[in-house]
Amino acid sequence: MHLSPVDYLIIALYFVFVLGIGYLIKRRVRTSTDFLISDRAVPLWITSLAFIAANLGAQEVIGMAASGAKYGIMTSHFYWIGAIPAMVFLGVFMMPFYYGSRARSVPEYLALRFDEKTRGFNAVTFAFMTIFSSGISLYALAMLLQVILGWDFNLSILLAAGIVMGYTLLGGLTSAVYNEVLQFFLIVLGIAPVVFIGLHEVGGWEGVVKNVPPVMTHSWQHMDNAADNPMGVNIWSMAMGLGFVLSFGYWCTDFLVVQRAMIARSMSAAQRTPLIAAFPKMLMPFVVILPGILIIALQNIGAGVELPIKADGTTDFNMALPTLIGHYYPTGLLGVGITALLASFMSGMAGNVTAFNTVFTFDIYQAYFNKKGSDTHYLTVGKLATVFGIVASIATAYLASTFNNIMDMLQLVFGFVNAPLFATFFLGMFWKRTTGHAAFWGLVAGTVGAALCHGLTGAEDKGAWIANLYEFQSTMAQSFMIAIVSWTSCFVTTIVISFFTAPKPETELHGLVYSLTPRPVETEKHWYKRPIPLAILILALVILLNFIFR
Amino acid sequence: MERISDLRFLIGSFFTILGIILIVVAFTVVTSTAFGKELNLYSGAAMLAFGLLMLLLSTRK
Repeated sequence: MHLSPVDYLIIALYFVFVLGIGYLIKRRVRTSTDFLISDRAVPLWITSLAFIAANLGAQEVIGMAASGAKYGIMTSHFYWIGAIPAMVFLGVFMMPFYYGSRARSVPEYLALRFDEKTRGFNAVTFAFMTIFSSGISLYALAMLLQVILGWDFNLSILLAAGIVMGYTLLGGLTSAVYNEVLQFFLIVLGIAPVVFIGLHEVGGWEGVVKNVPPVMTHSWQHMDNAADNPMGVNIWSMAMGLGFVLSFGYWCTDFLVVQRAMIARSMSAAQRTPLIAAFPKMLMPFVVILPGILIIALQNIGAGVELPIKADGTTDFNMALPTLIGHYYPTGLLGVGITALLASFMSGMAGNVTAFNTVFTFDIYQAYFNKKGSDTHYLTVGKLATVFGIVASIATAYLASTFNNIMDMLQLVFGFVNAPLFATFFLGMFWKRTTGHAAFWGLVAGTVGAALCHGLTGAEDKGAWIANLYEFQSTMAQSFMIAIVSWTSCFVTTIVISFFTAPKPETELHGLVYSLTPRPVETEKHWYKRPIPLAILILALVILLNFIFR
Repeated sequence: MERISDLRFLIGSFFTILGIILIVVAFTVVTSTAFGKELNLYSGAAMLAFGLLMLLLSTRK
């Protein structure tokens, strides 16, 4: 792939705008709350788009196109089952507690609801996870630019990290969120032409259906048996593992995304943030998954576009989207396509860094090292945490380039830590008897349960480091089962220990637990401004999409 | 200054410039890819329309 001066001009224009946004926002940032939580003053349309854009990182844009090429439309389960219901649950049931408690972060909610050790456990693991995710994103960006454009690995890392650091340091969370919205539109408008031209070439959706295996165009019909579909999962593990544990664990408890709703201007706006975000989210498979299916159809009709083969002889599915962009995009639009890929990596990195600096400042530094600092002091700490987060991300990117297996292992450990979290939040918000000790040991039990399940089962030559008691059809099926075991371990342990330990007095739980919180009185006249009617519409639409592509 | 830092204005400006660049490229640069001119022209027109819409919205409170 060769870029012309016009393509470089478009990339430069994008860099000028993202840094310009940081510069313009800078004058609004005076306090630590301005810098770290945007002073809870961001309009609804921006928080909604930032909510999905923070998740629209490299793994999503490149990874979902790769999964589309590998698994077909079944990949849409990560949206229609693995995201939308959880986003609806967050908006309708959980945001009133996050927003109403005035907590500045998800770990801080845990401190209010349970105790400091539960907050500390969540804050420290989350801080590590965000840095490593950010580093992996940076590594993937540099590798991609090296492979498709021949750019220097070191230069790509320093350029991307430098620009993210620039606009995040200048304008804090508001700047990151504004840029996420710009990046969202750029990603959608930059990738959409691939979908249109691909569909045109192959003869529309009917042409796709004719030219790919049937299993790639049906999301549910081949799921009775794990052996009948390329994902190697059945309906039960899909619904429980992805649709419940992993999905709710991520969308309802991960501060990276929840933070975008917590900075809305009002409770009503905070509740509607994930609900409004659900509309574009349910359509994202047509932008990020469809290109992967299209490249298989285009290969099969001999359109002259081919997925590259890796050195080990296997197909490089990760190159699905870059290959299509390189094949079809002319000078000019190629610059837009490459900028869209850059935007996705930078959006993911900035999202992680802004979540990290908030958790580090409020939940680690202020909670454990200096409780009585001035606001200026915490603003300085927040800025230093931003610099540290980016430097640590760069170090992680180099670590990933040297020890690829270490990164696989770290990703696995993150899964162990994340999966049980929803059990802790669910019990904490809906059962007033849940205690701090139970929450903490429940999380530990969930993590240990996940590690044991991985050690005792195998899939595709992975796992089974203790003994291989069961062989899964795929690593995806194994990861879904690990999530189920982890969640169940946490859920059961938390309930059992709660019965043997003293709960917090009810007077301390008002606004934190469902049964002790007054229901908000609905004052909105228009149905589209109320969470429940919006939620019903979203669920109806997502059922319709599942039915159409069944 | 307030309007310049309005996100709708910033997004509108970015896509308007991007759209104009693509339309100019469509008419001035010979591309080797199939549908190259059409892709630049239609994508540029879509981005220009989106950019102008955002600029229009930024004039409203």
